[in-house]
Amino acid sequence: MTTVSSPAARETPPPPAAPRPTPLVALRALRSAGELVERYAEVAPLLAEMVSAGDEDDFQRAGNILTQLDRDAVKAALPDTETAVVALTGHSTLGSVRAPLTAEFARHGILLEDRLGDFDAYLRDLRDPESPLHAPDVDLALCVIDPHTLLDEMGTPWQADDLVQTAERKLAQLTALAAAFTERATAALVLNTVPLSRTVTHQLIDHASRNRASIAWREFNNGLLRLALDHPGVHVIDLDPLVAGGAALNEPRMSAYAKAHLGDELLAGYAREVAHLARMLRGRTKKVLVVDADNTLWDGILGDDGMDRIAAATTFRGEAFGNFQRLIQQIGSQGILLAVSSKNDHEPLVQVLREHPDMVLREADFARINANWQPKDANLRDIAGKLNLGVDSFVFADDSAFECGMVAGGLPQVAVVRLDDEPALHVGKLLADGWFDTARLTAEDRARAALYRTEAERADLLDSAGSQEEYLAGLGVRVTLGEAGPGDVDRVAQLSLRTNQFNLTTLRLQPADVTEREQDPDHLVLAVRTGDRFGDNGVVGAVFAHRDEDTLVVDNMILSCRVFARGIERTTVAALLAHAGATGARAVLASYRPTAKNKNVRGFWPSVGFAPTEATDGELRFRHDLDDLVAVPSHVTLTSTLEGSTT
Amino acid sequence: MTKEDFIHLVRDELDLPLGVDDLSADFDHVVSWDSMHMIRLVGAVERKTGNRVPVGKLLADRSLSAIYERISAA
Repeated sequence: MTTVSSPAARETPPPPAAPRPTPLVALRALRSAGELVERYAEVAPLLAEMVSAGDEDDFQRAGNILTQLDRDAVKAALPDTETAVVALTGHSTLGSVRAPLTAEFARHGILLEDRLGDFDAYLRDLRDPESPLHAPDVDLALCVIDPHTLLDEMGTPWQADDLVQTAERKLAQLTALAAAFTERATAALVLNTVPLSRTVTHQLIDHASRNRASIAWREFNNGLLRLALDHPGVHVIDLDPLVAGGAALNEPRMSAYAKAHLGDELLAGYAREVAHLARMLRGRTKKVLVVDADNTLWDGILGDDGMDRIAAATTFRGEAFGNFQRLIQQIGSQGILLAVSSKNDHEPLVQVLREHPDMVLREADFARINANWQPKDANLRDIAGKLNLGVDSFVFADDSAFECGMVAGGLPQVAVVRLDDEPALHVGKLLADGWFDTARLTAEDRARAALYRTEAERADLLDSAGSQEEYLAGLGVRVTLGEAGPGDVDRVAQLSLRTNQFNLTTLRLQPADVTEREQDPDHLVLAVRTGDRFGDNGVVGAVFAHRDEDTLVVDNMILSCRVFARGIERTTVAALLAHAGATGARAVLASYRPTAKNKNVRGFWPSVGFAPTEATDGELRFRHDLDDLVAVPSHVTLTSTLEGSTT
Repeated sequence: MTKEDFIHLVRDELDLPLGVDDLSADFDHVVSWDSMHMIRLVGAVERKTGNRVPVGKLLADRSLSAIYERISAA
């Protein structure tokens, strides 16, 4: 190996007279100074800034830097850093996916360890329980397939029938391997669809054969997509939209000479989708979209131009804003809470939402409207407080670089979507990063905006009630408790993945894990449904427990932040204890594992009659001997289908 | 493209800690060199110069200076 001179002397110096270094220069400076490990927390905001500015080349270069970082050193220096292990296998040369994968994960604060398998070893890796894909610490197993996965098996010359048969055979093979893999391995398996290129179809000169080949190819892709529907542990990244968005399928020379059958830009796009998937699987889904108003929702500045001169329809630019409003409405219809943070006076802004003929979004579409002259980071904190959600579940979209910078600087946990002065690009920018991606939508998701609106009515009742007791008595809280059925699995899993505040042990469960527990006679999975005079809240909580001889061990209890402080948690525990006693348990054990978010429930178990037993590794443990049972609060009506219930 | 521009590009794009001496060294002796670097380097040179690089021939080269010579001659 060649001796190299001092790395510090080899860095690109920052451009002279630059007032502020670009994020890449800042990143290189951290590396040159030997501070990248200790100051790893600064990496994510720098990467976010590169992406927000659309500087994909710099992002790729940042990935090169980060793949060389000593991950163990980061873990040792900053033990709280979130980490992930991704194992990669595939049919073609995949080395160039490493840098973007590392950068994409780092951008979301996740330190990646990637394990790249041997070239073209995907069949062996999927099949062999000893392969790196099967290692117990792997979070995501990426099996990257490409057009040659099919083409290499056809021989030449080939006819449409050959492609039809190859596609069917390959789909059957991948289906069987994927199913077996999910049985054996713990990692989520990620496959991808394979875009069809003209260099394939046009090898057939008659149109009838060409059409048959196209159909067979697409049926192969459709079969893969269906595979993901059938197996919760399998995910398929559809590459067609990335190719349609302009990423070339491959670079013909690299495909020919280096067996790199998927192009760098496409692999970079793939890496971005994989990071979104990883974030989603960890329940880090954003729940709230906060938008600016002037030049974000409509063309113009309300305060300067007046209500009559702003537009979200009828003009060319106005139409583009109308399209953006329709996208926001679409996102809102799927359970994402919408809010406005705008530097305007409140009344005129609300008047626009009530009366302006162009508006797609109306006042009632927003869970909060903060139109005032306070800094936007303060407004976001205020909205978070009012909705009882963390700002880390927020996405903020604004056309002002200043406001975006202020929020990014003041609240780095917020995902900032920086819009600009071209409204036709707003839609793409908001959708670029899958911030709101979720595995499956539940009934509660679809109804969420309405649920938050009834919250305002509850708040009115609270204001008019003389005391908390009076308020609760007037609220008419109903709690329904029962074992979770198959229809509750998605919602219960979602609660376990997304709930941060009332989550006593942060045991996170994917839908498949919930199903497994639900079907295990030694396990108990309870769904907590609530409602009151203002309407039903649906499934708002869950309890996971298991039998250990004559003890019932509570693995976790979760309650949505929407329904705190109404006696629902106490009611749930009362019913659970009654059930434990009636089914022969002599004690119930429970625990509390602290996180950054669940401090407020530290005292929950003692408050419902549990005695502390021991504390190890920061976890607090409790025991209830079922002698003195907590009562269902008088303002709550409990309906329980559990054995041992008195209601 | 001057030799300095070239080495600058290699450092910038590939983030390899290369010295001027590394230009003439065989790839087996260049820090962390692998074939993916060649692919990325080709893309970077083409973007920078606007000229097509003869990739098929380049793959037979064993050092950065051989690549540089070929690019300069193109």
